[in-house]
Amino acid sequence: MVEFGNEFKGIAAFTGLMHKIARMAPADELDHIQNSLTGNAEAFATLVKENQKMVFAVAFRMTGSMADAEDLTQETFLRAYQHLESYRGRSKFSTWLCQIAVNLGINWRARENRRGDVHVRWAKDSILEPRAEFPDELSQCVQEALNKLPPKQRAAIVLTVYENQSHGEAAAILNCTEATVSWRVFTARRKLKSLLKGRVP
Amino acid sequence: MKNTDLDAVLRKASVPQPPEEFWIELPQQVARQTNRSRSGRTEGVHPAHHRLTRLSWGLATAVCIVIAFSIGHWKGQKELEANSKDVLANPQFVRETLAAFPGQVRAIVEDEHGLNVVLSDTDDVPVSTPLYVRISRGKEVVAVVTFSGQEIQIAGQKMTVLSDAQGGIILMGTDFAWSSGGPAMAKNDWKITAKNLELNTM
Repeated sequence: MVEFGNEFKGIAAFTGLMHKIARMAPADELDHIQNSLTGNAEAFATLVKENQKMVFAVAFRMTGSMADAEDLTQETFLRAYQHLESYRGRSKFSTWLCQIAVNLGINWRARENRRGDVHVRWAKDSILEPRAEFPDELSQCVQEALNKLPPKQRAAIVLTVYENQSHGEAAAILNCTEATVSWRVFTARRKLKSLLKGRVP
Repeated sequence: MKNTDLDAVLRKASVPQPPEEFWIELPQQVARQTNRSRSGRTEGVHPAHHRLTRLSWGLATAVCIVIAFSIGHWKGQKELEANSKDVLANPQFVRETLAAFPGQVRAIVEDEHGLNVVLSDTDDVPVSTPLYVRISRGKEVVAVVTFSGQEIQIAGQKMTVLSDAQGGIILMGTDFAWSSGGPAMAKNDWKITAKNLELNTM
């Protein structure tokens, strides 16, 4: 009886969750999320296919490295799968993924550096990692400038400029106040203007 | 540069693209990883697993109870065996010994040397209820049947056995006292039991 009761509660909670998700997610996406929640890996693979380019772009802007961006993209989807039950549908699914990627990206380099010797890794990266082939000089200049920002300022720019989030929304994602986001954006813009001065038309 | 100009420049910048295989492999790789984590997670919460855990705990508890019961039973048996070896607990033996030496038996002592009957030179031992006293210290056990007012020696200690009006038994030594009726100043490592041996029950 106890197990049945828990199961019933679980179904009720699941149904409620799906109603909430339905507010934001398109019907197909909703089906895939629902099927993923029941353990359908293929459904989640479809969600990966639909969002991987967006997540990779965020990951690359946060890390500035092809190899790190690939790893971060995969890590983002795995985290999303692990915490899929916590997706409440308050935002688009892609926004939720972006939120995970940005938060992982903030600590990515520090975490990677802790994993192994920094110098060995730096040497390995320099030799083995294929250099990112930027489509044009402007893209390369912008990324080099972004790489010079502290991770939290970079995250603020990625969210507000590239993902069109308001300062309030970015604050919720970054778990800080709106004023902090505004300050980070202000400081980051000042640095970017200085770094890009004379290098972009 | 204005903020709007900067934002326009930033948005115009594209990110480099990984090899085409990356887009093909990533969904498959994530699917494989999620399958693995799901099977791990399922193992962790499966009701059958809970039932198995509960069953294991139940079995372990049952085994502990059986072991505890066995130990208790074994100890009880040992005590019973020890008591059965206590000849002074045999009423018939005590009655026959007292009958063989009327008025002369001061004490019947059973210790590691065996049985000893302590007799008075004269038949002046007053007739009263025999008192059974058992003193143990570690493996050393001495049992005595005697009468109130008699002085006995156990483990090098001289003591007087007394019976009070309420049927309680008191042992008085040179540096200790013990009473069957309440807390006493007995030696810490001594375990003493004493009782009246009613003649009619013997």
